[in-house]
Amino acid sequence: MMDAERALLAETVRDAIAAAGGPAAGGAALDAVLAELGWREMLDAEPRDAIDIVFTALGNANGTATVLDDVVMSALGAAPRPDVAVILPRFGTWDPPGRIEADRIDASKIDARGLATGRAATAGELLVVCDAGAGPGAEPCIASVAVSVAAIDAVRGIDPEAGFHRVRVEGAAAAITPLDARAWESAVAAGRRAVAHQMAGASRAMLTLAGAHAVERVQFGRPIARFQAVRHRLAEALVAVEALEAALTAAGDEPNAVTAALAKAVAGRTARTVAAHCQQVLAGIGFTTEHPFHRFLKRAMALEGIFGSADEIAFHLGRGLLASRTVPTLIEL
Amino acid sequence: MEIADFRAGLAAWLDEHHDELAPQYSPPGTLDDHIAQMQRVKSLLFDSGWMRYGWPEHVGGLGGSPMLRTELGAAIAARDLTDPGLYSLVEVLAPTLIDFARPSLAAEVVPRLLSGAEMWCQGFSEPGTGSDLSSLSCRAVPDGGAEPASGWVINGQKVWTSLAQYSDRCVLLTRTGSAESRHRGITAFFVDMDTPGITVAPIEMINGVREFAEVYFDDVVVPADRMLGELHGGWAVAMSILPYERSSCFWQRIAYLYRRLQLLVDVASDDDRTAEVVGNAYVQLHALRARSRVTQHRLAAGATLGAETSIDKVLVASAEHAVYDAVRRILPGVVEMDDSASGDVWREEYLYSRAATIYGGTAEIQRNIIARRLLDLGSDE
Repeated sequence: MMDAERALLAETVRDAIAAAGGPAAGGAALDAVLAELGWREMLDAEPRDAIDIVFTALGNANGTATVLDDVVMSALGAAPRPDVAVILPRFGTWDPPGRIEADRIDASKIDARGLATGRAATAGELLVVCDAGAGPGAEPCIASVAVSVAAIDAVRGIDPEAGFHRVRVEGAAAAITPLDARAWESAVAAGRRAVAHQMAGASRAMLTLAGAHAVERVQFGRPIARFQAVRHRLAEALVAVEALEAALTAAGDEPNAVTAALAKAVAGRTARTVAAHCQQVLAGIGFTTEHPFHRFLKRAMALEGIFGSADEIAFHLGRGLLASRTVPTLIEL
Repeated sequence: MEIADFRAGLAAWLDEHHDELAPQYSPPGTLDDHIAQMQRVKSLLFDSGWMRYGWPEHVGGLGGSPMLRTELGAAIAARDLTDPGLYSLVEVLAPTLIDFARPSLAAEVVPRLLSGAEMWCQGFSEPGTGSDLSSLSCRAVPDGGAEPASGWVINGQKVWTSLAQYSDRCVLLTRTGSAESRHRGITAFFVDMDTPGITVAPIEMINGVREFAEVYFDDVVVPADRMLGELHGGWAVAMSILPYERSSCFWQRIAYLYRRLQLLVDVASDDDRTAEVVGNAYVQLHALRARSRVTQHRLAAGATLGAETSIDKVLVASAEHAVYDAVRRILPGVVEMDDSASGDVWREEYLYSRAATIYGGTAEIQRNIIARRLLDLGSDE
């Protein structure tokens, strides 16, 4: 996609999300808007740009949609459908959320525990990737279960508006298809890139809010933006945001599991840095629900656990470096 | 030449000539050893042609994208063949001569710098100018008192002049306007360091190395045709260095930092705490490398680099601190108490790393620039 085309599309998506009511609009409303804009066709034809534009815009507007399901399904090689929801790993983890007990393979019964977007509340069917299991020759597989056999509860948590649901499946009958061994890794990578874009959008939004506040808020006869202590906090926040955007560019140019993991780890670090500085600059008003800052803070906290937190990913990468005794540079000029 | 072909060809050549290129001193080596090693490596690279890619033909180069020479600098840093801090002087000073010197002068001297026949230094900072370069006061007046002069007489002092004691030439900033003229009254000269009246007094750094020096100028006469750029146009010369310092030099520094993390991972114990520390440093290095890559691509596409490179500067300084902080955490006592050769190396490098947030504009100056120019927070006055 050309730069101009991409910018135009980004603007269209932003406007559409704003017109749909922004943060107040629920997942279904924004899903409808995005479907109208051709989200699924875009995801199919230009996945990188589609994910970048839509998830950045969602993060920036604090919008809630269920498009993460489409990203994951498409990476798994399944055609995204609005009536099929995906079970995501539990908070802070990225292992396949499902499991087939060795003695149940013949009976095709699965267990699963994880999270889901708001799509789980309206879908008829749940897709769950299951672990290779314990038995010899056991392969990862993708299972489809009816929503009626799953326990699905809306998560209130820190951000009820995020639309996440807790899903539990116990010994349920499932239609099972084998899955390529690398498919889950691809799904995690795609999910991480998408969520990291959303966190980048949210981080930009926090910085914009804090910057505007610093320029407007007058103390001791001058805008607080003139105080170096305030300026330096906001400068640090911008450094973090720009680093994340660069890591996402790298993950798009060199798409693989490691660059996606790194982008998600940088996203977690960035969101924390930006939130801490911006919350301090916003001070009293940022501590209230009268100011929109809190929505972005809470959303970023919720998103940090989707497909692994910065700390967990960094630890995992560190284990890999020590195991291989190699520090790859990954991206070249 | 395509950059990927260059990278692959260079890697093969470096492998093939490993023994010839490898340092011939035992670590940590003295600064004399490091300088001799760098000049030897440059000479081998120049003779084999690798050092000439990315530089224009009229100064002895073979043409091609400047990214080729960025790759070269990174490749030799990644193999520990030269110190990127010393090597970076090529990357910042050769372009200055190419852009601002008489063409015949540039054609004469740039090949001598590239081939390791000469060392040059950068006479910018003064005792009175830390982060505020435009307040410099080293004075140049027309010889005989009137213009047009055949020469200029320079009086004053420079400080933090890296490798001045090894240098054959100096790119020098002088005050030619009134004391209040700030950046509008500065002129650059290309000065031979053996000119009578120049005294060099090396300074010992916190790590025991005498890498930089005070340089005194007492009635030093410089020919008028050694002026770089226009009279009073020295600020443009100083600022022209920024894009190189913030792109190719950073890419080389990043290669060096990855190599440091590799050396650390080579010897670190395999436990959870180490994994956490190493993993976090790796994430931070990757974010920096990703950012610097975007900057190099923008430069190669013709963008003018400006205030946004302050972000690269903050990231490179933070990552350098992070890598050496990781060294201290993972190898307890090595920096503080280990008297083996490797202890000496880690100690010297650790102490040097503390300069990362100070040189080239302090971290605070970078944040001021980011706040004013990139975040539109207005003036802080």
